[in-house]
Amino acid sequence: MTRRELIAGAGVVALAGCTARKATAPQPQMVSIVRAPAYDQRIYDTVRRMLADHRLDVRGRNVVLKPNLVEFEPGSSINTHPMLVHAAYEAFRAMGAASVRIAEGPGHRRNTLDLADAAGYFRIIPGFEDVFTDLNVDDVSQVHLSRQVSHLGKLYLPNTVLGADLLVSMPKMKTHHWVGATLAMKNLFGVVPGGLYGWPKNVLHWAGINECIVDLHSAFPRQFALVDGIVGMEGNGPIQGTPKAAGVLVAGSDPAAVDATCCRIMRIDPSKVGYLGLAAEGGAQIAEAGIRQTGEPIASVATPFALIPYFQTYRLDRPIG
Amino acid sequence: MAIEFLLNKQNPDGGWPYLHGGSWTEPTVYAVLALLAEGETAQSKRGIAWILRTRLGDGGWASRPGVGESSWVTALAALIPEENLGHAAHSGAIEWLLPVKGENTTALYCLRQWLLGRSNSIDRENPGWPWTPGAAAWVGPTAMAVVALESEHKRRPSARVAARAQAGRNFLMAHMCHEGGWNHGSTDAWRYDAPPYPETTGVALLAMDRLRSPAMERALAMGRKFLAETRSADAQNWLRLGLAAQGELPQGYAPPQGIAYRTVTEVALSHISELGGLA
Repeated sequence: MTRRELIAGAGVVALAGCTARKATAPQPQMVSIVRAPAYDQRIYDTVRRMLADHRLDVRGRNVVLKPNLVEFEPGSSINTHPMLVHAAYEAFRAMGAASVRIAEGPGHRRNTLDLADAAGYFRIIPGFEDVFTDLNVDDVSQVHLSRQVSHLGKLYLPNTVLGADLLVSMPKMKTHHWVGATLAMKNLFGVVPGGLYGWPKNVLHWAGINECIVDLHSAFPRQFALVDGIVGMEGNGPIQGTPKAAGVLVAGSDPAAVDATCCRIMRIDPSKVGYLGLAAEGGAQIAEAGIRQTGEPIASVATPFALIPYFQTYRLDRPIG
Repeated sequence: MAIEFLLNKQNPDGGWPYLHGGSWTEPTVYAVLALLAEGETAQSKRGIAWILRTRLGDGGWASRPGVGESSWVTALAALIPEENLGHAAHSGAIEWLLPVKGENTTALYCLRQWLLGRSNSIDRENPGWPWTPGAAAWVGPTAMAVVALESEHKRRPSARVAARAQAGRNFLMAHMCHEGGWNHGSTDAWRYDAPPYPETTGVALLAMDRLRSPAMERALAMGRKFLAETRSADAQNWLRLGLAAQGELPQGYAPPQGIAYRTVTEVALSHISELGGLA
């Protein structure tokens, strides 16, 4: 057994223990919502304060930031904004992390560094190339998925993310034309190496998109989620939708709880989002009662994201909070 | 400069990484082809030895040795000239490629689509190739399989090989974006048109024959537009190769200054495109 496989196996054991605890005594998961009106210098202080609120201890740890990089569209709302990623990078370094890397494996476009360049990452993040890993072509190890909701069974995953002490999922708050909403959990599709599975990573679609999202989520028990909802995307997301200013950042250690909270902000019923429903069956907290929400009340920041006709039934009609 | 970069990036096992780390089949094939274009060297021989060593029992290659099963990169291995790769390995690669199809052409899938009121008769009759077995067919692997088969057919004419290559080209035509050019292979989602990408437009143009039609004219126009606009090394490489294969690359074309060639595949393909192409 290699070190990477040992780490992955240990993670699975840790998750199993975590799940068992949830089954007997579910603890409310903390999710914070902070207003962030624009991508400007204030974001650095905002992110520092958010992470401090969550009392993450990353001293001496290896942190991997996983943004959502999808398309070459400068100025669009497709990709996680590089300033938010840089703010998280600086904050985790200031918190004493031994290393902070940025890593992503886009699902459609093969030229990852060109994509990052067009999205402004080289311009905003000094020395970007030195701290970035293209997960599509990273070295890999085999991982046996613990949940087995999908038919995948096992996957090869990049060593950079398997070796992380904390994987920080940093998605854009977007609607999604196959699953309704793409947030922290769906963002993990980007860790599956295109070098092995192709562009798109079609094996995940054949094994069930919602099911694979849950299985991938279970492969990474040490996660934190920080969602870029400053300007998200509505309508025909995740690529061809239109920008939607929500003016928020949403964060927490349980990506399912964070995603459920984001859905409520987007006025989407989280229980109707397939992967969140499956995660809840496995013990994840997506009900409001299972989430200890801090910062701005959902009702004060909620703004309906337009949905394509197929997902109109996902609309959250009842009041929140 | 390109050759020096490639030589410095060769791993001790004889293969190449994309950028850092272990050896992968795709960058190794392109690096070998770039070196062979300069004349056979000890380094290209070590690369070919790596490729031969990593060949699987079914005649194909996995994207990385020891990881998974034979996949689309088998088409890339078949681009290495038979005199360098050896007859058994080369013909084995072609034989592996011929029957492979996307999962979206299986009888069960087609029946399900028919029951849902969706017809995919074009894909069923003209199957493309998947990235990995058990998944649907897409533009990238289909284009590279067609290039490999067409190259084989030119060397050793075969109706079977020619027919399979033509089916692949038909698949590509059916998956062209409405405005011309190609993306990864999805032309629409929920009736929203999906736009083409520069790099996949170049890859697909490389696989097409030179027959002209209104659709091909749209594809060529998109390719020329992308070539003038893109600052991506990967896109520049594939557009140069694709437009050159179509006889549409402007005479004496040189990529714009300032383009960053960062990876082994980008450097190798740039060199290959300067020296006349892949197949």
